[in-house]
Amino acid sequence: MGRYRSFLEVFASSLNEDFHFPILEVFVFLYALGTFVFANMTGMLGQFITSGEAVAYGLVSSLTGFPLFIFVILILKNVAYGLGNDIERGVIRTFLSYPLSRRMLLTAKILSSIVIPLLLLLGIQVSALLILAPDVVMPYMNTVLLSYAAILCHPLLIAALTLIFTLLLKKGGIALITGIILYFMFGIFSGLVMFLAGALNSSLPLKVFAIINPALPLQRYYVRGMPGGVWTPTLNEVLLYVSAGYIIVALTFMFGYLYFERRLEL
Amino acid sequence: MALISVRNLTKRYGGIVAVNNLSMTVEEGSVMGLIGPNGAGKTTTIKILLGLLRPDSGSVRVFGEDPWDNPEIKFRIGVIYEDAGFPPHHKVLDYLRRTCRIFGISESRALEMLEAVDLQKEAYRRPIRTLSAGMLQKFAIAHALIHKPELVIADEPTSNLDPQARSKLLDLILQLHDEEKVSFLISSHILPELSRVCSSVAIINNGRVWAQGSFMELCEKFGVGATRISTDKPEILAEVLRRLDYVRNVKVNAGSVSVHADPKRRQNLYEAVLKAAEKVNAKILGIESGTASLEELFRLAVDAGGGVND
Repeated sequence: MGRYRSFLEVFASSLNEDFHFPILEVFVFLYALGTFVFANMTGMLGQFITSGEAVAYGLVSSLTGFPLFIFVILILKNVAYGLGNDIERGVIRTFLSYPLSRRMLLTAKILSSIVIPLLLLLGIQVSALLILAPDVVMPYMNTVLLSYAAILCHPLLIAALTLIFTLLLKKGGIALITGIILYFMFGIFSGLVMFLAGALNSSLPLKVFAIINPALPLQRYYVRGMPGGVWTPTLNEVLLYVSAGYIIVALTFMFGYLYFERRLEL
Repeated sequence: MALISVRNLTKRYGGIVAVNNLSMTVEEGSVMGLIGPNGAGKTTTIKILLGLLRPDSGSVRVFGEDPWDNPEIKFRIGVIYEDAGFPPHHKVLDYLRRTCRIFGISESRALEMLEAVDLQKEAYRRPIRTLSAGMLQKFAIAHALIHKPELVIADEPTSNLDPQARSKLLDLILQLHDEEKVSFLISSHILPELSRVCSSVAIINNGRVWAQGSFMELCEKFGVGATRISTDKPEILAEVLRRLDYVRNVKVNAGSVSVHADPKRRQNLYEAVLKAAEKVNAKILGIESGTASLEELFRLAVDAGGGVND
């Protein structure tokens, strides 16, 4: 009981720090703004969408654009800057003086810094979908869920990698810069892959990149006839890529846990 | 019973050996000082004891258990860091109340501890990040003692405190030790403070324990700090002094007796010498007080650079 009490208190303390005024208010506003105002419901992909399922995918895709960027910023703020500074300034050391295992402590920090922003994002997104287009969402709930799973995979991978960099660097500022570089590298790498696939007229770069970004095969599956369309995966392939992506995310988080539990010296 | 037992502890940072085959024990009910120059390995040793660093070799036991990732022993340990870190946006009193909930104790203890460390009342509602260094140190002390630990491990606990607050903290340490039987391991550079509260010290240099024992034992061991009493009847006076429990190493020289006395009871020694002289009708020609201090022992350790583990 004592252990869970410590866990809940440290979790509450982390929430208080990660979302102190006006952080929560600003980010919820940006999530809502991005979802309800900036979303392009007709979408640039509209001309390629041919089925009801694809419409549901297109809707999710258009709603997640800007909020996903906000989500990554929030993750970088909470994990790289927040956790990094907590390590650097001795807050984690203080938490470790409580009757709380390292695993529980990291879980409390991850819940506060990653899971809560994710739930905020999903809460606003689902509300928006149900308010704006219930007739599109309800019949294609599986497609909506698959779309979110695929689209959220790479931001979660960035979160997991940022966590590892933060634990290795133990400094908030450097971890934040590393996280930002990682995010932009991911974008640059994505552009390079598209270029290579087009230039070589080969689907191999796309398939390799799809392992860490399953949103790509999902897009290719639902949106037929896109430029550079050298590869159109099947639904099974999409599911395989989503599974592989989450296995990589899980393994990355697991590495973070193992490092925090067994190796992290403060 | 040993609360802390360290055997042949070694810790390296890359090619630098921070702690080198160090052994020491902290007994239940003791107030032990850990002294040594900068880079001697004190903080590294304390961090290993708190499960923040892993030793490269050797064994460390705190309450008989490995301290690495061991939540259970945290109920029994209070920790004061020199540069304590707390969630900066929490308010002082709120955070201490949260700490009470973490340890499953009454929240009224938070106010009690803030009063005990003499933190200004206006600071109770302030966010922790706005506290001055001295206030933060007082807060850290209240935070460390809030759950009534059996053992307090403190790394430079008086740093950032003004002289009045330092004195108050030392009084608090003595009070907790005397009334609640709390044991302490205190690392500090401020040696007069350590000599005021510590029942024993471990002198660390170059990552090794150079000497460990009570202040009197160390003075006796290294032949410093003896009190010399010049008298016409040294043999007879020596016999009387040997019966005092706080006097050791009574040696008779030509026309004088040299003794090592517990520095905290030196005044008692002077009174006892005068009484004994009166009793045996001896003439006291002079008393030369032993001037050994922790500083002197510390200097010897730094100069020697060796270790008892050699």
